[in-house]
Amino acid sequence: MTCYETLFVVKPTLTEEEIAAQITKVKDVLAKEGAELVGTHDMGMRKLAYTVDKHARGYYTVLFYKAAGATIEELERNIKNNEDIIKFLTVKYSKNKEIAQFDKLVANANKKVAPEAKAAEVTEVPDVTEAPEA
Amino acid sequence: MAERRKFKKRFCKYCELKIDIIDYKDLGVLKYSLSERFKIMPRRLTGNCKRHQELVTIAIKRARQTALIPYIVDRKNVVENPFENVR
Repeated sequence: MTCYETLFVVKPTLTEEEIAAQITKVKDVLAKEGAELVGTHDMGMRKLAYTVDKHARGYYTVLFYKAAGATIEELERNIKNNEDIIKFLTVKYSKNKEIAQFDKLVANANKKVAPEAKAAEVTEVPDVTEAPEA
Repeated sequence: MAERRKFKKRFCKYCELKIDIIDYKDLGVLKYSLSERFKIMPRRLTGNCKRHQELVTIAIKRARQTALIPYIVDRKNVVENPFENVR
């Protein structure tokens, strides 16, 4: 199992649910191929540095996973056939230092998700305390 | 002679920041080695060490492929605020 990272850009013309559906589609391919998804980094809607297929913006997502080499072929074939994904890039992390960096990136990606969950909890807690008072 | 030398020879910024591997998504770090026209700056002007210069060129090329950084900036392809996403 090798560490990989795939970044892909979804078309901006789709609605939010459609974008989410595209992302789950890619994740499903990984799951089907027996890859272990370690983390996801949602970069959100960004301006592209140059127009791609006449689109000025795009929705960036990064997936971190551990998989066998053959998985990449299948994944990239799926992404290529998908017309809603306009850009993608897969990076392999194989050297010791690179793997250390990979772990750091995964930790960062997971950290970014965690504070939001915590914030949600914090906002929920006052509601509970306020309710009995009222 | 003093006027002809536009850039001062400096230390390697990446060594100072103790960055082991440069991530292509981290545009704030790539910024040090890019000219205002988004060309890769040579080592003699930025003062990067050889190891980091090699890492940074790969990272910049990857960032270009994924449309995070423009390939070229000229009068036809003006980027209004290229570092809008950076900060």
